[in-house]
Amino acid sequence: MRIVPFLLAAATLAAQPAPQVRLPQYTHEVLANGAVLDLMPRKGVPLVSVLVLVKGGAESDPAELAGLSSLTAELLRRGTPTRTADRFSEELDFIGASFSARADTQSTTIATEFMSKDAERALDLLSDAVLHPTFPEEEAKKALSQRIEASKSSKDSPQPAASSYFQVFFFGPRHPYGRLASGDELSLKRIDRAAIAAQHARMYAGRNLIIVAAGDFDPAEMRAKLAKAFATAPAGNAYQWQKDQPPADSSGPRLLLVDKPDAVQTYFWIGNAGIRRTDPDRIPVWIVNTLFGGRFTSLLNQALRVDSGLTYGASSRAETNRLTGRIALFSYTRTDSTIQALDLALEVLKRLREKGISSEQLASAKAYLKGTFPSDRLETSDQLAGALGEIELYGLTRADIDDLFARIDAVSLEQANEVVRKHFGAGDLVFTLVGNAAKIRDGVKKYAPQVTEIPIATPGYQVK
Amino acid sequence: MRIAGLILLLYAALVAGQQLDVKTHTLDNGMKLLIHEDHNIPNVALYFFFKIGSRNERPGATGLSHFFEHMMFNGAKKYGPKQFDIVMEKNGGRNNAYTTRDDTVYTDWFPSAMLEQMLDMEADRIRDLSFDPKMIKSEREVVYSERRNSEDSNFGALDELLNAAVFMAHPYHWPVIGWPSDIESWTMDDLQSHFRMGYAPNNCVMVAVGDVKAEEVIALAKKYLEPIPRHDPPPPVRTVEPEQKGERRVALNKASQLPLQMIGYHVPRTDSPEHYALEVLSNVLAQGRSSRLYRRLVDRDQLAISVGGGSDLSLDPGQFTFTIQPRSGVDPAKSEQAFLEEIERVRSAGISPEELQKAKNQWLADFYRELKRISGKANLLGDYEMFFGDYRKMFTVDKELEKVTAEDVQNVAKRYFGPNNKTVATLIPEKPEAAK
Repeated sequence: MRIVPFLLAAATLAAQPAPQVRLPQYTHEVLANGAVLDLMPRKGVPLVSVLVLVKGGAESDPAELAGLSSLTAELLRRGTPTRTADRFSEELDFIGASFSARADTQSTTIATEFMSKDAERALDLLSDAVLHPTFPEEEAKKALSQRIEASKSSKDSPQPAASSYFQVFFFGPRHPYGRLASGDELSLKRIDRAAIAAQHARMYAGRNLIIVAAGDFDPAEMRAKLAKAFATAPAGNAYQWQKDQPPADSSGPRLLLVDKPDAVQTYFWIGNAGIRRTDPDRIPVWIVNTLFGGRFTSLLNQALRVDSGLTYGASSRAETNRLTGRIALFSYTRTDSTIQALDLALEVLKRLREKGISSEQLASAKAYLKGTFPSDRLETSDQLAGALGEIELYGLTRADIDDLFARIDAVSLEQANEVVRKHFGAGDLVFTLVGNAAKIRDGVKKYAPQVTEIPIATPGYQVK
Repeated sequence: MRIAGLILLLYAALVAGQQLDVKTHTLDNGMKLLIHEDHNIPNVALYFFFKIGSRNERPGATGLSHFFEHMMFNGAKKYGPKQFDIVMEKNGGRNNAYTTRDDTVYTDWFPSAMLEQMLDMEADRIRDLSFDPKMIKSEREVVYSERRNSEDSNFGALDELLNAAVFMAHPYHWPVIGWPSDIESWTMDDLQSHFRMGYAPNNCVMVAVGDVKAEEVIALAKKYLEPIPRHDPPPPVRTVEPEQKGERRVALNKASQLPLQMIGYHVPRTDSPEHYALEVLSNVLAQGRSSRLYRRLVDRDQLAISVGGGSDLSLDPGQFTFTIQPRSGVDPAKSEQAFLEEIERVRSAGISPEELQKAKNQWLADFYRELKRISGKANLLGDYEMFFGDYRKMFTVDKELEKVTAEDVQNVAKRYFGPNNKTVATLIPEKPEAAK
């Protein structure tokens, strides 16, 4: 394979005038209990995609119980007053429906996709799981121990492990993003059934729910079914969002070295604080990130892969979450070229800051984002449901999509270069490396006055 | 209710199948074109399937097909080094490519206004690829990094070992990415002979799905692709894997948190009449949380945190692979034993009518999900043409599936999942300290 598509965070625009895009028509209503219900009927393949978003997500996990929202989501399908976990799986699998329930930094998303004709059964399964889970003790224990094992096993894959370490190290223990949404083996051991049931009672309330359906359905019937099912949720209290805050103490560059003695490559992240989803700089940051590390011909991939053969891939991402996230680059290289690759990545960043981008690059990035956007976000019902869910979660309007191309077109070269200076490589850099420490320990000292080293076998992902 | 559910699924899939209006055309040089118009989004998925992969390689030059795939992006006559990607991306397009044991596939996604330029670029590299020694040197390192990536992952390392043990003689024995020694020693001459060996338009199927007019695609293909001369396709792969006559076991000691286990069985080639029975069996055993292996290993006995199974499309007899992720501290012999009991249970007692029905429903719903996107349609059309010999066979999958009986499923389990046809690969964790 040529490119492993692992960092399709938000990146993905043209010389010819790209057609404008519009979100298809949809209806929006607020049920009596505060739940938002959006419906987007569209003809085509007879599939329906329904998402239930619960505001809060990992952000709402108590500091010492990281993974609580994620685990609560996992247990939804494992027992209701009318279905055991087995029965639920049996019914779901029998109609070939998909079901996933996971927490990210600001929401829990329960997603199901089913054939239009199976709507009755599929919606019954969905609402039963979301609203009436009984959290059987035995299932809670099983799920917890499975998650603990999964957390351990994540250390066996250096790429995801490096990503988790970087998150924890970057944001630090006092920041809500300084904990993994999945939790780790230490935090999961502190979670019990009572905490899970309490999290469900607190968060799965009408005022925190967003229900979105997109696909081939009759809108009146779908409205009736969903409104009836979800009107039964108690209104509850609206989740009080956490205030934005800076990442962990930044008094100079920091570096975390995770020792994996058997690794043949070093996996590394370098980043600084960036923007929020609602930041006015979001579009120019997206454009600049596309040029920096968001596509194959990006500056990073060009330098580290195409021109030097140091790696199979180098990329960057600009997070757009509810709270300020990271702008960070990621790559990997064989152990003995670690310093060469890090130096080169930093050189690319420095050149971007010094030289900025050209009008030709700006035009190319705009075309790329516009050209790839339809297939990335608007092609299927589940993508459209996702776009709609995001609009509701962040309190946006359909203009977020409908005006997107006009807003991309409006970004000037001055604006783009302003966000380069403001956000790319600005402030203290945070480094995280997973690799054979004995061979790279001395070399990496030059990047940061503070180097923290831990063996990968240390339980959990906490960094003291 | 259950039956009604099935009928509706079947009906839906059937409708989808028949609604896929595909225009075909064969260029004078033998390249076959499959075109389906879909105007949902203003984009096109243009795929080229070359019937050449690692099965066409030889010892000493393993991994060459995949390396060649990489080199296809490093410059031709009209569009020099880097230009393919630069031109695509500045026009709003994106590409990728992949190599399997059996084929090499180039995948382009782009706004429909770019169609003519895309065909010009593809024709340029298919006809006049250049091999710049500097690019060869640097791309070799890129591929090596890709390989190390898989060495550092438990799954990648164990999968390679399993394949090498399942196949002793047939070229499926070596990894698609190639052995390290071969990656280090590919030469310019190897690349050129790989091209001469079978990178021919008559050995390629082009699939275009999306916001296009079939007549326009055909006219542009005639203009740009038809002048590429035909030449001989790759010689047939002569080696037939001898029948396995006893269990094989291989082990990998690796610094690791958890063990890992993969179990492989020889199965027939994809276009065999038993294909759909094996697909149903695959779902019964390992698809969804109601599947037999999930229930037993993950849920009931709590020996593993995940279990999966399935087979890749293959032109020659291939393999069915199960992957079990035991928990830490679980002796892999125990998870293997539980796995084998479940396999024996299917072999001796068969499956229930409900399981049969469920597996078929799951299979069709998954097939249907593939049809949501222009990329998924292009992929299915190409795969059915390559591996089933005719893209139209994707329109009758519902009928093929309907024919499968519980008895068929038990029969394939008996025939292929027996102890003599089994290869077990186990990753045994070493403490990281020991690795120093």
